[in-house]
Amino acid sequence: MHTYELDEQKVFNSGHNACPGCGEALAVRYVLNTMGPNTIGVIPPSCIAIISGPQPYSSMRIPVYQTTLEASAASAAGISRALKRQGKHDVNVLALAGDGGTYDIGFQALSGAAERNEDMVYVCLDNEGYMNTGAQKSSSTPYLAVTSSTPGGKPSDKKDIAEIMAAHRIPYVATATVGYPDDLARKVAKARDMKGMRFIVVLTPCLDGWGVADDGAVRVSRLAVDTGFFPLYEVEDGERYTINHGPKGIPVERYLEQQKRYRHLDEDQVKEIQAGVDHRWSLLQARVESMAGQARIR
Amino acid sequence: MSEVTRRPATGPAAASPGEVPTIWTTGWTDIFNTGTWRAATPIHEWRSSPCHTDCPIGNTIPGWIANIREGAYQEAWLALVETNPFPAVTGRVCHHPCEGHCNREVIETVVGINGLEHFLGDRALEEGWALPAPVGSQGKRVAVVGGGPAGLSCAYHLRRLGYDVTVFEARDELGGLLRYGIPEYRLAAGVVDAEIARLLDLGIEVRLGAPVADAAELEALEAEYDAVFLGVGAQQAKMLAHLEDGAGAGRVLDGLEYLRRCTEGVARDLGERMTVIGGGSAAMDVARSARRLGHTVSVVALESRATMPAQPEEIEQALEEGVALFDGAMVAAVEAGADGGLMLNCVKVTLDLGAPAGELRPVPVEGGEFALAADVIVTAIGQDPDLAAFGDGLAVERALLLTEPTTLATSRAGVFAGGDVASVDRFVSEAIGAGRRAAYSIAEYLNHPDACIPERPKLEDSVNRTEVNPFYFETTERRERVVAPAAERLTGFDETISAYSTEDATAEAGRCMSCGFCVQCDNCFVFCPDMAVQKDASAAGAESAAPSASEGAPATAPPAGVRVTAAVPCVGAPPDSGPFYFVLDQYCKGCGLCVTECPRGAVRLEQVNL
Amino acid sequence: MSATVATPRRSPPANQAPAPGDLRLLLSGNHAVSYGAMRARPEVVPIYPITPQTPIAEKISDLQLAGDFDVDLMTAESEHSAMSACITASLTGVRVFTATASQGLFLMHEMLHYASGARAPIVMVNVNRTIGSPWGFWPDQTDSLAQRDTGWIQYYTENGQESLDTVIQAFKVAEEVLLPAMVVHEAFYVSHALEPVTVPSQERVDAYLPRFDPPHKLDTEIGESWGNVVNQDMFYRHRKDLGAAMNQVLEASVRADADYKDAMGRGYGILEKYRTEDADMLIVAFGAMVGSARVAVDMLRAAGKAVGLLKIKLFRPFPVEAVRAAVAGVPRLVVMERNFSPGGGGVLHQELKAALYGMPDPPAVHGYLAGVGGVNVSPKKIVELAEKALTDEPVPDSVWQR
Repeated sequence: MHTYELDEQKVFNSGHNACPGCGEALAVRYVLNTMGPNTIGVIPPSCIAIISGPQPYSSMRIPVYQTTLEASAASAAGISRALKRQGKHDVNVLALAGDGGTYDIGFQALSGAAERNEDMVYVCLDNEGYMNTGAQKSSSTPYLAVTSSTPGGKPSDKKDIAEIMAAHRIPYVATATVGYPDDLARKVAKARDMKGMRFIVVLTPCLDGWGVADDGAVRVSRLAVDTGFFPLYEVEDGERYTINHGPKGIPVERYLEQQKRYRHLDEDQVKEIQAGVDHRWSLLQARVESMAGQARIR
Repeated sequence: MSEVTRRPATGPAAASPGEVPTIWTTGWTDIFNTGTWRAATPIHEWRSSPCHTDCPIGNTIPGWIANIREGAYQEAWLALVETNPFPAVTGRVCHHPCEGHCNREVIETVVGINGLEHFLGDRALEEGWALPAPVGSQGKRVAVVGGGPAGLSCAYHLRRLGYDVTVFEARDELGGLLRYGIPEYRLAAGVVDAEIARLLDLGIEVRLGAPVADAAELEALEAEYDAVFLGVGAQQAKMLAHLEDGAGAGRVLDGLEYLRRCTEGVARDLGERMTVIGGGSAAMDVARSARRLGHTVSVVALESRATMPAQPEEIEQALEEGVALFDGAMVAAVEAGADGGLMLNCVKVTLDLGAPAGELRPVPVEGGEFALAADVIVTAIGQDPDLAAFGDGLAVERALLLTEPTTLATSRAGVFAGGDVASVDRFVSEAIGAGRRAAYSIAEYLNHPDACIPERPKLEDSVNRTEVNPFYFETTERRERVVAPAAERLTGFDETISAYSTEDATAEAGRCMSCGFCVQCDNCFVFCPDMAVQKDASAAGAESAAPSASEGAPATAPPAGVRVTAAVPCVGAPPDSGPFYFVLDQYCKGCGLCVTECPRGAVRLEQVNL
Repeated sequence: MSATVATPRRSPPANQAPAPGDLRLLLSGNHAVSYGAMRARPEVVPIYPITPQTPIAEKISDLQLAGDFDVDLMTAESEHSAMSACITASLTGVRVFTATASQGLFLMHEMLHYASGARAPIVMVNVNRTIGSPWGFWPDQTDSLAQRDTGWIQYYTENGQESLDTVIQAFKVAEEVLLPAMVVHEAFYVSHALEPVTVPSQERVDAYLPRFDPPHKLDTEIGESWGNVVNQDMFYRHRKDLGAAMNQVLEASVRADADYKDAMGRGYGILEKYRTEDADMLIVAFGAMVGSARVAVDMLRAAGKAVGLLKIKLFRPFPVEAVRAAVAGVPRLVVMERNFSPGGGGVLHQELKAALYGMPDPPAVHGYLAGVGGVNVSPKKIVELAEKALTDEPVPDSVWQR
């Protein structure tokens, strides 16, 4: 039987404003408690900003700066650079942004920070839409998922942010999710102990936005991985791939049926999604194979 | 420039006394009471596992299996003998209903609980572990009539509860069915001897060759003892009169007698071809014993193979050993055969599903007639208790002593009964369980300060397959005990099944999901988005989750809200793994993640009454 | 507030010997800014290139490469990110400088509000440039004036020396009141014009400008967070506090300038009166036009016309009381400015009229849109326009003049 051993430091507080059973709050717990108290956080408008607490209270026992939606990576870079000038080379800088603030409006700042290899851990808490504003579509929303701005299902694919970030050849890129908390915490710890730009995208089910039961965040998150919808992997220096958890032969329908946002799908659409999942998985495996044994060239 | 202007009005400095600063935080959210959002509360509790529920002895199976996993074998065995003093016996012969609803089936197949019990039972005998000593003395005497599994189990528990116990056994040796009714190849006499001897070491008086056969003798016991337990078994074989007349005369034996003679080594030469009638374990025991003694054996059973009361593996092994099975059939008549033997006129039957429970009503299948040649017929179709001599003093119903189901009290005050004499559930472990129940019932009757009659958990209240979380368990092949090849088995009466190796036992114990039985896996703690599930600091030791940076946070509130349910034996300490987590009322939003992610159904969600 | 208005002065003559340790260099306005920034010792300079600001960034890079300027130069991927990084670096507790122009300033607009709301004392130089569309590169103050509501202090300077000195002073004021400050000069007329400039010695600047040590910062030892969501009452009070801080700027600026003058020998005031004695009319201007207007006033005075000059240096906060005092008794003002707010006219014209509203015996005010888009407004042209203003009847709206 599998048990989780997390080395948590108490940074994330009780009494926060996340919905009951919130997948994102769970992710914030693992991320913050792994990063530890020697960390300064940056949060753009998002559910995380709400979770972080109403003035004058904070749910995070670290200094946190709340920036604008598009500026997380740049704001984190400013802190990181100031800390270096102060000689505080051991203080971690952590950006905690949603998918809207990462895939969409924050992408330019993120790409710029990645190109400059700014010293930060950037964690995208990806709930596949603008959930804090009422579940609108983002470029992270998956194909055919219903949002309040795509009531008939999103007509385009989810942006592959991990691959985009890997293409920046930054030291570390990883995908993670709350259903695999040990994997998530390990990746955060690994990222924390590296230097330069580290990027982790964490799939965090939004109970309300996805139409998932209050006790379902972990189950759904796990199914995302176990069906191959969201494989967990790492990329170092843009080329050293490691797959941590991939599909376990479970049809993607098992994942979709847990969520009201996919309730409208007909059989053919489910097949189409399954084909997409299979295709992306084979592409990922091909990438892993083609990259295997490559010498690092910088 | 003055310092006054150097520190302008911003942040906390800007606020008038009592006003909240507009920027820069000053405190933490743990002052908020998000627990008020809650509509349901998670409750950590030990719940009955299906194996526990199904165990006639009331064994807390997941507990001792957890001990095996950790390599704590003696601890495991001590947990096991809390209810059952005969693990080496039951590890061999129990019909193991515990494996009937094992939730492990959602992963692949049921856990080999019986094999694990076998392993522990043998390990205890090898190591010479002693049973736990009696706790104090109640200064009262109880007579146990019958030295079979029911009586000895009752004697054991009474002794441990502090009573002086005398066992009255009609035969020359203790053991009853264990010694006389089960062939050695299934249960070696040495095992029975050793487990009985260990039990007697607790200080139990035994009177052998001392039957209590009639009302007068019972009254004498009542006068001398504070209470009496009757566990005299069912010694009177049921016979089929229509086979014993005519050609069958002198060629029909009862199975119980046949087995006793085998045990005693005095089986008669009855002719080469034997037909056994019956579909239970006794029929299989007779048939397989006869095969070892060189007979050609056929078995005729009313039930189809799938519904025969014998264990599937017994049937399987009987067939491997060359027994011919005619299931769904009956012997309608016996004629003299041309070769000096018998000709059995048989017919295929179906069973009338409308028959009362416990009664078999065969309906012949038209054209299903067939014939079998035999030299001897052995019937193994059950026994009845021999109660005639007790007269009207004890109420009898349908050939059984009438007992109250919970207390096992008979119609006579102070007289209790259990086992085959009072039940149609003719299994060794049923008898052991009845002995245990009766012991606690007697203790209660005698006003023992601590004793209470064990509750019988219900299957519908037990952890079911939807309540375990299969994600946490990897598919792992079940380990099987090694069974000797049929040819080897037929050479004698040596035991045919070997106990698990330590490695097999560890692996098999690893398959147990510990349903309803918290093993401190931390999932409820790990998956709480509100950090509302905390570990009991005193139970967890120094590494517990007391938040170091959290001044003033209620990190180690008392473990309120932890409830203990029927899975825990009512006598003796609760399992060591017990209440370890507690829920912080102030923060729990009642999402139920801890319930869902508990791999084993040990957390339950209870609606909050608003 | 005796020091509010500077006495008439000119830049030190080219042949004036620098004080010991000072450098005397021929610098463009932008390069003068770079030297001023260097002397202020910012730790982090997040910056993004845009014409005509680029020489500032380039010179800082050169000075850094040469080892003269120990700074972390962050080459951001946009002005928005540059300003975002400025804010957080400042809140982390280090001095921050940046520079931009025109569209870049507009891209920063959101973060300009964020900076003042965060009370981050960033100093930024904006090089005024026309705003698109259409595309242009010409001096025009509309870009910075469009930021007048962002909560930034704004200084408008007329030459490189003043820009250099004002950058250093701006840090002093900004860090005192905890508001960001913008030092503004115009494209090419100032940014690229070469003039002899005195760069004060590091020792003198260090003595003038203490280490930046904010009362609150992002520091793991302190643990305070910035910017959690507020309720209406907190927001109301926060804005009120911001206004109170802005009000302190007037006094703080005057004091910072006086101290600077004591230390360096150069001072500017928050506004300047030039030959205003017994004037029938004052030309009111800010930025590069002030230099030309000063020459024009000399020409007008030589021609017997009693015309003086009022230079507005501090535009935000607008020095209402000082302006009223400066124009008291003058019958007529003419604003000449290089910006245009469609539907509103010249921004200084609007601001001036608003400042004078309710004043006893207020002067009549002409508003001339002279030089919008970088059109050259020579001293001769200013004389011509002043003469016109002396006789024309003032109208409420700003009037296009070229």
